[in-house]
Amino acid sequence: MQAWLVILPGLALVGLFSVYPLAFALYVSTRRLLLTRPDQTPFIGLGNFVDVLATDQIRAAALTTGLFVLLTVPGVMLLGLGAALLLNQRLRGMWLLRWIILLPWAIPLVAAGVMWRLLVHGNFGALNGLLFQVGLIGSYIPFLSDPRIALVAVAVAQVWREFPLAAILVLAGLQTIPFELHEVAKVDGAGALARFRYITLPLLRPSVLVVLVYETMTAIAVFDLVYVLTGGGPGNATTLFSWFAYAASFKLLNLGQGAALSLMMALGLILLIVVYLRLLPSEEERA
Amino acid sequence: MTPARWLERALLYALALLLALVILGPFAWVLSASFQPESAIFKQPPDWIPNPLSLDNYVYVFTGRVPFKTDLSSGLTAGITGEALFIPTSLGNTFAVALSVLALNMVIGTLTAYTFAREHFRGKALAFNFILGSRLLPPIAVAIPIYTLLRVLGLLDTRLGLVLVHSAFTLPFSVWVLTLYFRGLPREVEEAAFVDGSGRIGALWHIVVPMAAPGLAAVGAFAFLFSYNEFLFAQLILDSIELKTVPVLLAAISVNPDATYTLIAVGVMLAIIAPILLALIFRRYIVSGLVSSLER
Repeated sequence: MQAWLVILPGLALVGLFSVYPLAFALYVSTRRLLLTRPDQTPFIGLGNFVDVLATDQIRAAALTTGLFVLLTVPGVMLLGLGAALLLNQRLRGMWLLRWIILLPWAIPLVAAGVMWRLLVHGNFGALNGLLFQVGLIGSYIPFLSDPRIALVAVAVAQVWREFPLAAILVLAGLQTIPFELHEVAKVDGAGALARFRYITLPLLRPSVLVVLVYETMTAIAVFDLVYVLTGGGPGNATTLFSWFAYAASFKLLNLGQGAALSLMMALGLILLIVVYLRLLPSEEERA
Repeated sequence: MTPARWLERALLYALALLLALVILGPFAWVLSASFQPESAIFKQPPDWIPNPLSLDNYVYVFTGRVPFKTDLSSGLTAGITGEALFIPTSLGNTFAVALSVLALNMVIGTLTAYTFAREHFRGKALAFNFILGSRLLPPIAVAIPIYTLLRVLGLLDTRLGLVLVHSAFTLPFSVWVLTLYFRGLPREVEEAAFVDGSGRIGALWHIVVPMAAPGLAAVGAFAFLFSYNEFLFAQLILDSIELKTVPVLLAAISVNPDATYTLIAVGVMLAIIAPILLALIFRRYIVSGLVSSLER
């Protein structure tokens, strides 16, 4: 009994901001609730879900989100893996790199987004300046206002922000691989590539999988970056799912549809977590 | 050293240099821009190194003295915005909120995690999984309900409201990491303390907390960084400009057509100093916290 009293404050705080909101979101999603007509909130069952699923915009947002995941996750994983392998080298001065690699991940996502806006801006910006200076382009490219490039620009910012995290986590995985394994394999005549293929990669599988799923979820849920970099535009070129749900609630003031969209996204993310828990070997198998 | 080994080493150093440039390059550009008038970065190509180096943008933020008078006639932008004058205030707000979240995580997180690690009681697994499971909800899914909840509680546009929300979002991670940490500590030392006559709380404070210092440092750094960096809820909850946190104010300035891009760069620099210092100083603990979160 006493134990329950001690954990009560934490439990209450977490419950207040999870159970109640979830119940409320479920309730709102079954009502027609427009902030422009707050006095009329009829029950419409799954009407909001049906309505949003029937629109073209949701297909566009889902496609854009999928494309964004495909653009960012492989980049984050490959760059993270490469950086981790590099950081794991016993080289003089490597500690410096291990020290600074967390910086893109530690700063506010909003600040990272604004930084990248200053980097890829169409009228100035370091990227345009650099390409111009070395003579690759004759005139500046409007990266963020060109619908074909804007999503790539957001993706590049996302990869820059996220790959350090992947690198740190994979590096931790690398450091658990016993050094002797490599030594034994070397004695047996295995080259560097073979050792990577048959020792490093299989033993890294659990950490890589976790990072992969985490980064997929992060890419699907990305919001702050879109907010400061493009605001979903130009047109709807960078309208990712979370931005779409946000805009439904806070720009179009259709809270019912916003709740329906958010719940669909939450469900999707939870499914993803379940799939990943299945993919991971359980504790017993690992032991 | 054989030539092959030498070549390998040169290649590795070249890659390391490239990686360092990728990480630091964006920071360097924004730092450079923050010391220039806007006209200088609009040159094609821009001045990479400020020439001359000017503190005008920073002076404006802290004193309100209008920067680069000549720039105002160029017609590019009005050049200044009153919003930027609130950056120092917003830094204070952000610290107040983030430190409160840190303190709440320390106190509630320690008590809760210690109970989970040492006590046996009915429904323990349920309570533990409930706290951890709450993290599965993506913030955007509960944004509207939390907004209405805070309105009912009269906590909209208050720092307290934001502190509570941030704490609710960080506690699951804190409880998870600290429970694992406490479980790993030897029981014998605490039991010796009981024999010596100190109570549970005394043993927790004098024996367990010092031993768990690295875990607490990791949890504290995470809670602080999360709160310092969080945008969605800070944006929804705080309306008055004198209450806004740094990410919210920075987002507002960055889309304000009156702000020069070099003034925006100053905003970025001032916003990232604290998290950067924290990440550099607490690097070890942050990494160990990240790694233990990976076990989840």
